[in-house]
Amino acid sequence: MRSSVSYILSHAPGESVMSHPDYGQHAQHHACLLVLVKGIGGMLKNFNKLWERIQRINTIKVTDSAGQVRDIWVRYVRDYPVENNDWGDFQTHRRLLGLITLSKFTNQVELNEVCRVHESLKVKYSNTLYDSRAFMFGPISNMKKPEQEPETYSIFEGEKTIKQECNISEKASIPSEHMDSLSSSESFPRSTSSTTSYTQEENFTTPSNFKTHAMFYGENDPVPDLEQNVADLINSLFWVVESKRLERSREKLEKVSLLLAPFEKKDFVGLDMESRNNKKRCMGRVTTNLADLTLQAGLVADSLNLYHSAAEILKSVNDWLWLAAAKEGLCASSAILLYPNLRNSTPLQRNASLQESSPSKSKPLSLFQPTDPFRKFKLNSSPLRNSKTSSPINPPSELTPTSSESIDTSSRQSETDNGDTESLASSSDIEYQSPKSYLSTELPSIPRQPPSQITNQYLLNGEEIAEKYRKAIIHYSKYQNAGIIETEACFKAARIAVEQNNSLHASSFLQNVIFINLTLSEQEKIQRFDTLAELYKDIGFLRKAAFCQRLAATRQVSPNNPNPDWQRCYYLMLHSFPGHKLSLDPNYVVQHQVGWPALQIQLLQELVVAARRMGHPALATRHMTFLLQTMWPHLTKQEHRDLAIQLQALSAQCEGGPVPLVLETGEVIPPANLSHVPNCSWFTPRPLPPARAPHLVKSKAHHGPFIFTPIHFGSLERNAKKQEGKMEYLWVEGDICEVQMKLTNPLPFELKVSNMRLLTSGVVFESIPETIILPPDSPTTVNLHGTPKEIGELQILGYSTHTLGVKSNCRLKNMPMPNKFPASFTVEVIPSLPTIAIETTVTPSGNGGLSTETVGSTTNVTLYNGESTDCTIKITNTNSVPIEYLDLAIQSNIDTALQSKIFQFSNEDIQSQLPIAPDQTATITIKLYGEADFLDLGGVGGENLFPNSLTSNYPSRVGSPVPNAQTSLPTQSSNPQNSLSSGLMPHRTSGSFRSTNSYATSWSAPISVMPPSRGRQIESQLILRYSGGEGKDVHCRQSTLQINLELLPSVSITHWDVLPAEIASQLYLVLDVTNLTSEEMDFHYAPNKHILIESKESCRVPVPLDRCPFSNTNVKSDDDTTDSKSISTGTSTNSLELMCSEHITNNTDLRWNLVHSDISGRASVKGITLSQTMMDIVRMSPLNWEVSINSQCIKPQEEFNCTAGECLSLGVAVWNHLSRPLHKLCLSVQFYQDYNNGVFSYKLDNRVATAGNNKVVLTTLRESAKAYHECTVVFLTPGEYKIDIQCSTTEPILEDSTVLKEPEQPSIIQPCASEISHVWRFIPPVAISVID
Amino acid sequence: MAVCVAVIGKDNSPLYIGGIGNDTSSDNELSRQWLVHTALDALEERLTTANPNNSGTNTTTARTDLRDLYLGLLFSTDTHKIYGYVTNTRIKLVLVTSSTSPSGSNIRDAEVRTALRRLHALYADAICNPFHLPGDQITSPKFDKQVKNIMLNNV
Repeated sequence: MRSSVSYILSHAPGESVMSHPDYGQHAQHHACLLVLVKGIGGMLKNFNKLWERIQRINTIKVTDSAGQVRDIWVRYVRDYPVENNDWGDFQTHRRLLGLITLSKFTNQVELNEVCRVHESLKVKYSNTLYDSRAFMFGPISNMKKPEQEPETYSIFEGEKTIKQECNISEKASIPSEHMDSLSSSESFPRSTSSTTSYTQEENFTTPSNFKTHAMFYGENDPVPDLEQNVADLINSLFWVVESKRLERSREKLEKVSLLLAPFEKKDFVGLDMESRNNKKRCMGRVTTNLADLTLQAGLVADSLNLYHSAAEILKSVNDWLWLAAAKEGLCASSAILLYPNLRNSTPLQRNASLQESSPSKSKPLSLFQPTDPFRKFKLNSSPLRNSKTSSPINPPSELTPTSSESIDTSSRQSETDNGDTESLASSSDIEYQSPKSYLSTELPSIPRQPPSQITNQYLLNGEEIAEKYRKAIIHYSKYQNAGIIETEACFKAARIAVEQNNSLHASSFLQNVIFINLTLSEQEKIQRFDTLAELYKDIGFLRKAAFCQRLAATRQVSPNNPNPDWQRCYYLMLHSFPGHKLSLDPNYVVQHQVGWPALQIQLLQELVVAARRMGHPALATRHMTFLLQTMWPHLTKQEHRDLAIQLQALSAQCEGGPVPLVLETGEVIPPANLSHVPNCSWFTPRPLPPARAPHLVKSKAHHGPFIFTPIHFGSLERNAKKQEGKMEYLWVEGDICEVQMKLTNPLPFELKVSNMRLLTSGVVFESIPETIILPPDSPTTVNLHGTPKEIGELQILGYSTHTLGVKSNCRLKNMPMPNKFPASFTVEVIPSLPTIAIETTVTPSGNGGLSTETVGSTTNVTLYNGESTDCTIKITNTNSVPIEYLDLAIQSNIDTALQSKIFQFSNEDIQSQLPIAPDQTATITIKLYGEADFLDLGGVGGENLFPNSLTSNYPSRVGSPVPNAQTSLPTQSSNPQNSLSSGLMPHRTSGSFRSTNSYATSWSAPISVMPPSRGRQIESQLILRYSGGEGKDVHCRQSTLQINLELLPSVSITHWDVLPAEIASQLYLVLDVTNLTSEEMDFHYAPNKHILIESKESCRVPVPLDRCPFSNTNVKSDDDTTDSKSISTGTSTNSLELMCSEHITNNTDLRWNLVHSDISGRASVKGITLSQTMMDIVRMSPLNWEVSINSQCIKPQEEFNCTAGECLSLGVAVWNHLSRPLHKLCLSVQFYQDYNNGVFSYKLDNRVATAGNNKVVLTTLRESAKAYHECTVVFLTPGEYKIDIQCSTTEPILEDSTVLKEPEQPSIIQPCASEISHVWRFIPPVAISVID
Repeated sequence: MAVCVAVIGKDNSPLYIGGIGNDTSSDNELSRQWLVHTALDALEERLTTANPNNSGTNTTTARTDLRDLYLGLLFSTDTHKIYGYVTNTRIKLVLVTSSTSPSGSNIRDAEVRTALRRLHALYADAICNPFHLPGDQITSPKFDKQVKNIMLNNV
């Protein structure tokens, strides 16, 4: 854009170089009257408010002499350099025309001073100033100013006349006035004399030389007539301008003097002013000046005309500078007409509702704005944008602005004019208007002005404005001294382009600003960048804006800058965040990861420095934390380390905390949390340890037969499952709970993380702070603890750390990407439950033989089989909740029946001790008994080995071992059977139980061969379920106590047999007892009978027993027998066997005592199996005999002596012990001789003579009835005789009872096996020795 | 004299920034990034202004595809000129040249155009690598070498 012939016409820096660029200028300011508003004297409290009110009066309507209403626009400035005033001839809007002072005074001295300053200001701008107003705010008391009012008014009047004079004489008089005021400013007291009636304190008088229209108010007055007064001022200003315009327009073009830009003065020295060229130059310049005035006077359309003609003239004489001015003027006035809202929006910028209607002013960019503001900006662009795009479609022949554009303009114009008139109506009107007619409405400020084609033909459209401006700028660029003008022109052009929404044009204009070489103060350079940034922002070039802001920021603190301002530097950088796609919210940045990291890092680092230098260490820490957190993935290891160390240094000054920081500007810097240092890779709440974990009192009913099924029926259930982060276990109120996390320190040095806590919501949770030191680069598992204090749902949101001097709240939902955590973990907290401490003691029954070990909750007990001990469990309530529910259960690897024998406890006893108050102890005693099967069936078969046979399930024992036993038992019992028939008789000698005969036959296998019983290990768990407090009905706790019981073998019964005792009602149970312990054993098998058995030795002991009482057992087993009536005989035999076995078991009392270690125990023959024969012995006989000779009762084993030929009377009485009568009982008595060699001689015809029947048949023997039979016998020869007395029945045997054989009857004789099924004998047979 | 070449992704993330740190300290990586980054605004603006015009009518949609990929001078500073080029997949190629070439002659537009076309070809070659994920930074040393070649020889 810059002219290639740049600087050709430039001159050495002239005397009055305009050096203060006004970056805030807009094109529409060409049409404004410039008014300076200044606060003087003391600081006014409501100055800003007043300033705003004044600013609002940016336009007034004035009816001119021709009766036309003109819109007069005003621009208020707070400060205006006098140098710029000098350019007033060049562009009249640069002249300062009015002055308003707002001043405060409290006493006369101050008032005088205020007046003096006001006057001196007037002098300062005396070249251009037309009128002034002074608003004086005094103390409240002298609000009323009755006397001064007329006085000042008269002054005003006087001044007005003076002004009129000076208007005519054009500034000529002003210097004199200036002299006047200067001289008189010292002589103020003169006026005091005029106010005589008031004291000095109450009345203030202005100095006499103060010739300004002054208004007096109390300091806090509402100043209702402010607007009116300002409008008054503008009105008066207008008239001056108007008069000047008229004056200028009436000038004869030939005679005009040359107008000069300030730096041009030298150039024209010595030039021929009368040349034709110069004349034209003068004409052109004057025309430009006139156009400027016309524009200011509100005749925009006229000014177009004038500008155009001026440009034509100036072009011909190559007066580029002024040509540029004319062109710029043309552009400005065109822009004013085309874009009226350009004018409206600017002063009303503060009005929020209008802000949206003016799209050029995009909202101040929010730093949190997540969406691309640039795009947003595009979307709500003004209707102009549409018109612009559509404009090329319109025929170019049309001179006027194209349809949509002008409709828009006119409707807006009418809106501004009519104020409240219905815009809808007006716009609809316009729609149907012919192009000609709406041209008139287009310039509503001069409604009666005839619409002239000429005026409008110079109106430039959007494209042309840009083009013309471009040319103007190029022309300006030819003059070095016009640099400021050029810069301002660039900004103005850019603003128009912004309004046109032509970003590229705007950017090219702005770009040009950079190239303009100006000698500016540092502050102005910054301002330039600032304005550039602002405009770039407006066109959505956020990056460009950010770049400019950063440049401005660096300028603020550059070494060239004499007074660096870190604060502004900081804010500039902060506001360049959107351009770098940064947000102040670290989570946003982490999640989106947009922008250029390298630049962002640089910016952030600079920001940290700025914040630190600004003296706000908290901010520095915050930004450094932000930098580390957001840019972590983009930083190298080394940078991590360096930045972490820097952060540590920064936080040493001011600790970082997770609270938002509020800046002075009201911006909020949200907290930045370090979640990378340390890095958490695993985070999960833990269930309570098993001992403290709550269980449901009643376990949930299972819905199906499957413990687990992958198929879920019903959508409801499925939805419930979906809830992420919901834990399946429960936490208990008041109990320490745990969250496990894995932390890694990514920094190369040791990192101390202190005060780690859990962040929770929901119920109250007391977190226990934790401090850890993390070694570099190795994952460490950390457990965080805490106690929930309420019942309900607890959400665990994350954790807080304090590391590198920064406190962070690391929330799971904001965790950096690689680890995906749910937003929160939810754990249900249930009411508090009691806790217990368990102490187990086992009372040892002996000394040393039994070892008790309690390891933790495991108790090891060693018992010998048959031994018993007490295990005492002490339960102490260690919590504050009483235990109201206690339940004891045992689980073990053995079946329940055996288990209940080994572990015996009383449930009632437990329940009676409830409730257990806090710190109270309850005691539960469990009796442990070394239950075992002492019968060693070893050698019989594998199945009968101890592990199996230990099961006390009798039927199974009957089921399996008995078939074997039947094969084996006959060897035991059939032998005696055989031997009894032949060989048992002779061994009648009492106590001959160890007869070799019997021994050899019954116990064929040597005992030593029998495998010794092995020890067993029983693992059992004592499960204590307890509960209390509020939630006792739902939840309970469970403690498990492990009891390992080792059962050692003590004694073993390897073989057994039964023998009839001397008395019929008794029998001997003969047992082979083996001592399996390693000690000598004292074995008690009967009252007063015991035997010492050496270790590993075996002994045979006879245990005297009563026979199994017939009736008794009958009654007992009645159910069995009646049941089994129809069942086969085999089963009934078994049930009988059971009965007998039980009888034996119950009546044997076997006890052992280890002599050395004083351990005692019991043994039992439980499960003993009996063969048929053995059973017969065990059972009591159903028939009871009483045999008497000569009325003398015969005792068993007793020999009866008599002499030959003696008559003996033999009486036999039979009692029926059965529960039923016996029929057809045949009782027979038979004599025989035993040769003791197994031969019996029954042929005793010649030796014995009997009288009476030796065989009687009893038809019926009732139960419990007695039958008696007597016969007489005479032994004829001496010798040994025996009598065989027997009873037989021919009746078919009725199962069990009849099956019972007389145990003492060797049932060898079985006459008519079919008929006589049972024979009972009286044994032993009665022996009679007959002597001579 | 080209000083820097940048490849910028669809989402305006930097894919590759290569430069020849030949002379001054200001020519370091960071300042290059600033330059390219600020050029993105103008680049985007050109793309958005190009689009509505083209897509306004159906007849001109075909022109969109045939649109010249070369965008020309984006903006210039005292020391640098920045040229833009956009592929059809919206990958932006930015070439930064120093305004004052040592030979004294100004760089011609055509030269830049050809350089950017070659760069486009190189880029296409580079992302043909099956192991390259679109959107990732280009780390190919070969690409780097060739780009540097272009910068040194061509312009």
